[in-house]
Parts: sequence; C-alpha cells; structure tokens
Amino acid sequence: MARSKKTFAEALEQLERIVAEVESGEVSLEDSIDKYAEGVELIKQCQTILDAAEKKIQLLAKGKASQLEAAGELPETDRQ
Amino acid sequence: MSDNFSLFDPDKARGPRKGPDVGKDVTSDLLGSKDQSTPVGVSVLVSQIKAALSQAFPRRVSVVGEISNFKRHGSGHLYFRLKDAQASIDVAMFRPAASKLKFSPTDGLEVVIDGRIDVYDVRGQLQLYSERMTPKGAGALELAFRQLKDKLESEGLFDPQIKKPIPRFPRAIAVVTSPTGAAIRDIRRTLARRWPAATVYLVGVLVQGEGAAEQIAQAVTLLDASAEDYQIDTIIVARGGGSIEDLWAFNEEPVALAIYAAETPVISGVGHEVDVTIADMVADLRAPTPTGAAELAVPDGDEVSAQISQLNARLSRRAGDQLARARAAIEAIGRSVVFKDPSAGLRTQTQRIDELGYKLRASVRERLSSARSALSEPANRLAALHPATLAERAAARLDRARSSLAWVLRGRTKRSAGQLSELSSKLAEAHPRHRLKMARQKVASLGRQMEAMSYRSVLARGFSVTRLAGGDILRSIQQVRPGLKVRTELSDGRFDSLVEGGSDAKQRNSRTKADKPRSASQGGLFDD
Repeated sequence: MARSKKTFAEALEQLERIVAEVESGEVSLEDSIDKYAEGVELIKQCQTILDAAEKKIQLLAKGKASQLEAAGELPETDRQ
Repeated sequence: MSDNFSLFDPDKARGPRKGPDVGKDVTSDLLGSKDQSTPVGVSVLVSQIKAALSQAFPRRVSVVGEISNFKRHGSGHLYFRLKDAQASIDVAMFRPAASKLKFSPTDGLEVVIDGRIDVYDVRGQLQLYSERMTPKGAGALELAFRQLKDKLESEGLFDPQIKKPIPRFPRAIAVVTSPTGAAIRDIRRTLARRWPAATVYLVGVLVQGEGAAEQIAQAVTLLDASAEDYQIDTIIVARGGGSIEDLWAFNEEPVALAIYAAETPVISGVGHEVDVTIADMVADLRAPTPTGAAELAVPDGDEVSAQISQLNARLSRRAGDQLARARAAIEAIGRSVVFKDPSAGLRTQTQRIDELGYKLRASVRERLSSARSALSEPANRLAALHPATLAERAAARLDRARSSLAWVLRGRTKRSAGQLSELSSKLAEAHPRHRLKMARQKVASLGRQMEAMSYRSVLARGFSVTRLAGGDILRSIQQVRPGLKVRTELSDGRFDSLVEGGSDAKQRNSRTKADKPRSASQGGLFDD
C-alpha cells in the first residue's frame, strides 16, 4: 500500500486488540503503559480520519489511452 | 388497372360493387390481353400479381401469429413462418429491423408482426416483410428480461458464492450514474452525512437510451482497472426511479458482464424498491435505491465515533486502574524505612565494613605476631639445639650419667640397670638430630605460612607465580623449554599450561644465523 499510516480499518482493529489485552490483565505494568500509549496514538489517528471531510465529488472521464483521468469537480447545486 | 378493382376498399365495399361480378371471367381484364390464348411469361405474371397486391395492400399490415421454422442467418436476417390454425405465411425480417429487437424470437412464440406484404419474385412466393415484431401478451421488454436473466443465471453470474464482501471503511468510492438528476444528489448527501472521510469519484454516463448500456459498462470496466490508482474500494452503479423502459440499460448484457468481471465490489442502486434489474442481480450487493446504495457503502460515522469513544474509555479505565494500583504499591514501599531513611542501611553497612576491616587487620597482625612468636620459640630452641651445644650438654649429661652410673653401680646394681635404661631413653629423646628434625619441620611449615601470607598481596596486584611440575618456582627462562608443563598460581586460584615457546633477554636483542626462521604462527608469546 502506498500509504505509510494505517487504514482506518487496520487502526480500529489494532485498537480493539490493545484494549482487549490491557483489559485481560495479563500484561505487565511496563507493557500496559506502552500499550496505553499506543492505544492513545491509534485513537488519535482514527479521530483524524473521522474528522476529515471530503466535501467535493471528483469527476473522472475517459481520457487519452482509454484511461480514466481527473476531469474536475461535480458542482454542487443548491436547488436540485 | 381500372378503378373498379379495389377489392378491400371499405368505402367502395359499401356501395354497389362495380368490380367483377362473381362468376364473370375476368382473366382477360387482369392480364390485359384480349387474346386468351396468348400465354405470358412467369415474370410478367408475377410482377402483375405484385402490382395487384401492392394496390390491395398499400399500407402496412399488422398480423398476429405463431413463429415456426425460425432461422437466423449469419447475415443477421431472420426467416420464419407465421402461422395460425388454418394458414401460414413466410416472414422475412432483415438485419436493420432485426437488430433492434430486444428479445430473441423462438419457435412457438406468439408475436405481432408489423410489415408489408409482397411477392418474392424468384419463387413467386407471398412474403411478409417484418419491420417490427413484438411479443403478444407480455411485452418485448419483459420477454427480453426473462430471456437474459435465464441465460446469465445458468452461466452462474448471479451465484451468491462469488459475491464479494463490501469493505467497511472505504478510502474512496466511485459512482456510475448521470451527473445530473436525483441519484447523484441523494448519494452525495448520504455519503457526506455518514462518512465524509471517503473520497467520492463520479463517472458521468447516460442512464437511458441509445448507447447508455455501453457507457455504463465501460465506466465500470475503466474504474475497476484504475481502482488501485485512486484507492477506490467500492463502486456504486445507480439510477433514479423510472419505468421499465427507462431502466432498460441496466437490464442489458454488456452492463451485466462488466459488473460480473469487475474485481472491485459493486453495489447497485437502480430505480425504486420494487425495481429489480439484471444489474442488481449481478452486483455484489443490491440496494433498493441510490440512497440505499450509499448507506450500504459506508458505515455510520456517528456510530463508529461512539465505538472509538468507548474503546478510549475502556483503555483509560483499565490503564488507570493498573496505574493506581502500582502507585499505591509504590507509596507503601515509600513509607517503609528503606526509603524514608535510605542512608540508614548504608550507615550500618559502612560501620560494619569498618568493623570488619579493623577486625581483619587486627587478626592479620595477630596472626603475624603469633607466627613470629611461634617462630621465635622454635628458633630459640633451634639455637639451643645447635649440635655443638647439644653435644656439650649431651656430653655433660653423659658425664653425669657416667658418674651416677658409677656411683650407683658402686652401690646398687639392679636399680642402676633400670635407671640406666631410663636414662638411655631420655638420652635418645634428647638426641639433637631428632629434635632438630622436629624443629625444622615446624619452622618450615610456619615459614610457608609466613610466605603465603606475605606474597598474597603481591599476587593481588596482578603478579603470578609459575611453578614447574615438581613444585619449584620458575625464576629463569633457562628453566623453560617448549612442551614443558607448568602451573601458574594467581591470587585466587591456579591453572596449568603447556609452554609453546619463549626467548630470553639475550635472544630478543640479537638473532644469530643459527636461529630457525619462525613464521608468525609459530612465534612465542613474547616475540617482538
């Protein structure tokens, strides 16, 4: 994958795993502090993604070499 | 031809018939030949029949019947017979008209043919040329729908097993629909409300009419090919509500094949709840409407947000609990003496060490002095045991013994025998050699103890003592040969080793020709 950070799905999955581990009580104190920090970081990442708001719709059209190319934005019309 | 020849003209039919009377021979009228005996060529006959027909049937006719002997030529032309209970007629439908058919004609199908009557010259055969064919009863579209559905179903395109799961958190969604219209408006609004994090792409297409199916199919295929580049995780194919004709493009084969072939999951949202198109059947997931498709494509952002808050709470609570317990434990320990007065232990230890050190030094001194004094006594005794001294004393004793003996012998012979033996053994004990030997041994052992104590400190400084096999201390390189076994004593133990080689001070400074040339690996430990 081109993205260096996790996808939302991966982040959420890992977060749930960490919480389960910490709750199980089978983690040493040092480890649970590490995991807590990791969990907090993941929560931040998830919330960042959730807060992203892509308002535009990108148009794609067939361009040269029969591939799809960006073709601007779909205008929002107030009265539809 | 004369006017009175319109056989099926309704107007004329009402009036008095001016046409041929029944029974009257009109052959000559028809053939335009007054001479009944002159035959005409076949083509003449046929062309005259054609002309008569086109007069009688100037307009299109509309005929209902059943298809039989249906043949589709490679040319694209269709040939069949249209029949009812009593009669049949040949029908031809040429490619231009045939290609517009939405359904596949088959034998036994009841259809309505709109077309023209004519004679096929070559065979003089009556022929109906079909311009339009519609199935009787169910419409053409319903039939076409059923035919394609059955075909694709038998080919496995609708198999639930091959439907792909829809990704829960798509990074980007692509929509195939009209750029104007209700569908994209509803989809846009729904996606923005539920999951604004996803990027939305639109490939605008015709959604009905000529070429719409091809555009929709091509859009799906191109999106699928570029899905990775744009991180498109899901495709939505959508159209607002309409009649079966309006939605027809989504029932066409190219669209079905494109959706089937796509590796990206496809959600369909076409028409209203009740409309089920073939695209809906092939898609990985069907939604009743375009809005429904958008809802299925993304999760509810509010729900997910709540889920994360909950995880956050669980994490904090749990980690917080553990931290609180650890903190309490640490505080308890902190209250103990060890932490309140940390140097207390240190002071005790320091004092103890000082005491021990003092005791150690004292005991060493004591040992030394007692060893010394232990030595002094034997040393004195040794001196006292000097052979000359001993000899003197022994001689003196001997004299005394002799004189005693003489005296005793002068007086008491028996008692003196016993006394003699008694004195003899005392003499033996007093023998200088015996006592010297004992003293020597004692001194030697004390000496070794002294030695041991005195050179320990030297060893502790890093020096070592190497002895030969017999116990002799190695002091000179002259005592050493390669292959010699030696034992080395360190301050806290000893080890054995085998001499590889060495050199003395003289050798190191001047190598003579007699020396064997040595390779580096054969060099001794102390070679330059």
